Amino acid sequence: MQIRIRYMASLRDRLGEGETAHDLPADVTDSEALIAHLTRRDAAAAALAAPEIRLIVNDRIVTRPSALEHGDRLAFCPPFTGG
Amino acid sequence: MPSDILVSADPIDAAALLSTLTGHSPDDGAVASFVGQVRAEGDLIALELEHYPGVTEAALRELCEQAIARWSLSQAVIHHRVGRMGIGETIVVVAASAPHRRAALDAVSFLIDRLKTDAPFWKRVHTEQGQYWVEARDSDTAASQYWRDQIAQEDA
Repeated sequence: MQIRIRYMASLRDRLGEGETAHDLPADVTDSEALIAHLTRRDAAAAALAAPEIRLIVNDRIVTRPSALEHGDRLAFCPPFTGG
Repeated sequence: MPSDILVSADPIDAAALLSTLTGHSPDDGAVASFVGQVRAEGDLIALELEHYPGVTEAALRELCEQAIARWSLSQAVIHHRVGRMGIGETIVVVAASAPHRRAALDAVSFLIDRLKTDAPFWKRVHTEQGQYWVEARDSDTAASQYWRDQIAQEDA
């Protein structure tokens, strides 16, 4: 399964700019397994496991854990601070 | 136009926006509003707002639709600025028009409190020395949760 990931706001500073494609192993089927997978490659991704980190999948705000499907576009978001 | 949503990098003229609500609906006895502006705090020289195009607007529209249904508003307005802005400039205008004041005032509180936790915006402070991202405040989370509890109680 292939997905695309990007990081918003402060997470972008820590984990990188732009949208990147990822080929996932078969056992990575939801957002939490994905975070564990990313953390094995880059320890800084452990920050994504914090419960306050929000997830947008295919332009919809979803609750974690969220099942992943081939072709999904994910954005990891720090807590919102508008207004 | 019951919901009026705008996210834009252009400056907001709060007075002009509010004049679009007042005097237009003979059934409405109340127009309430909140204007958020950039506060001089510490060594801040500018504030920068980032959003998630499409998703942010959808979140604001959803909040307005909830407020319109709950408080029988004739209009709900959220205009939010993004990009870089200086001290004193308007960040956001929230307004509601309703038959009576309590509905209009509560709707505005609901909209700004929930906007802070439910709509994807991120603030960054620029100073002479550099920049940093603003952390979410526990008091904002609590204010938003207040409305969730209120609505859950009333719907129970």
